[in-house]
Amino acid sequence: MVIMRAIWFVSQIAFFGLIASRMVVVEDYFRYYVSGLSVMTLYSAAIFIGFDIYEEAEHGVFEYLLSLPVSRRQLVLGRSIGGGLRAFIYVGPLMCIALYVVGITNPLNFLVALFALFLFAFGVSGLSITLAVVIKSSDRFDILMGVLDALIVRLSTAMYPLSFVEEANPFYGWIANLNPVTYASELFRWGVGIESALSFKNPLLPLLGIVLFFSFFLFVGVVLYERTIEGGGWR
Amino acid sequence: MAVKRHILYILENDFRNFFRYKWWLVGLISMNLADLFIMAIVYNRMLNPEIAKQLKSYFDFFAPGLTVTGLFASAFMIGREVNMEKRREYHQYLLSLPMSRLELAFGRVLSGGLRGMMYMSPLLLTCFVFVGFPTLIQLLIILCVLSFLATGISGLSIATAVSTRSIDKFVTARGLIYYLLFFCSSVFYPFSLIEQLGREGKFPTFLVLFARINPLSNAADLIRSFLLGTPPFSPEMVFSVLVFSAVFTGVAAFAYIKLIERA
Repeated sequence: MVIMRAIWFVSQIAFFGLIASRMVVVEDYFRYYVSGLSVMTLYSAAIFIGFDIYEEAEHGVFEYLLSLPVSRRQLVLGRSIGGGLRAFIYVGPLMCIALYVVGITNPLNFLVALFALFLFAFGVSGLSITLAVVIKSSDRFDILMGVLDALIVRLSTAMYPLSFVEEANPFYGWIANLNPVTYASELFRWGVGIESALSFKNPLLPLLGIVLFFSFFLFVGVVLYERTIEGGGWR
Repeated sequence: MAVKRHILYILENDFRNFFRYKWWLVGLISMNLADLFIMAIVYNRMLNPEIAKQLKSYFDFFAPGLTVTGLFASAFMIGREVNMEKRREYHQYLLSLPMSRLELAFGRVLSGGLRGMMYMSPLLLTCFVFVGFPTLIQLLIILCVLSFLATGISGLSIATAVSTRSIDKFVTARGLIYYLLFFCSSVFYPFSLIEQLGREGKFPTFLVLFARINPLSNAADLIRSFLLGTPPFSPEMVFSVLVFSAVFTGVAAFAYIKLIERA
């Protein structure tokens, strides 16, 4: 998975990013696209924790985890943070390539953006755990993740500025406005200093969106985890 | 007659396996449709005026490219199965079946191609509905070229699968082939842009040449030439796909026969 994603990432930069930047009117589109690509990769890596839950359930590791002397709340919190950190470790080298390509103009802004990306990765892990626990079928989870991945990335500003999404279809624009991938992409761009095509003038708005996304899925994840796993309820 | 029957058994078996991946297929379809109905529509608004003059509509330009990528992804799936069979030694059972090695190899290559055609059909129909319908002769040429392309892709996939020992190596090789063929082609952007980057020295000449002979570029441009009129039709488009198909069907059949006997 790591190798496959790395090849995807590099070919997206070297081919799609480079060629598509000649095709569109967006100023500095190459750097714009590479930043969005980093967020897309982070999202894909963080969502993977849900698949691990099914594998653990299949191999009986789930029961072992439940028998550990930690509360359910600590367990789900640990899984979310672990999933997010793991995604960050995996995406780290790819993000370094992206940063080399786009450069950083304001290190302080970048640190704030990095913090927001951590929260985003934890939130995505929480979302993945929540869906995995609710759906209880690896096949259905697989398809939902495929569909969600297709929609959540394309209906965001990871690949194109919000104004064009809104112009293409107001409904798409409405979804992109509420999409956590949009918030993460915008903050990352703000962090590295690509401010020409930013959709939100005030970076506090996407930051608030990320915090809400993270808190919501952490809370929902904890509640659902506590309610559904007891007595083999996750089966 | 017996040859035909044996190949039909292989086809039946591989089609049954294909439907076992229904969830994967639904994911792939949603990805393809999202690319067309979201990404292409937004890119339509973002085109720079020069390219907009050349393409008119990115949606129309991209729909044939998407059809070809769908065909590629689904025809390539057979390789994963062949690789898994080799690792689980299921190929010993296949070799014990009362049919010749050539029938077995040809059946596998053909079924991979037909599965690709089956998956691609709704995408091609969607392309016709939104972009325009070709004449009967053009439709026959499109279907014929896409069938050859699908068989060639299936062959490429099988050749890759039997020459890699572990799933990791197969996945890495698949990734390299996938993305090189996808992105270094005129599926997502007109070939003139790749040429322009080549002239400016920002793209190596061999990659520009690769994009030109890439069968995905040629198949997508063939559909565009019939539906949109640009680029103009050239026999080179058909020739490139036929050569690709002949080479990889032959290589795959040979590699399959030789390597699974040795495994």
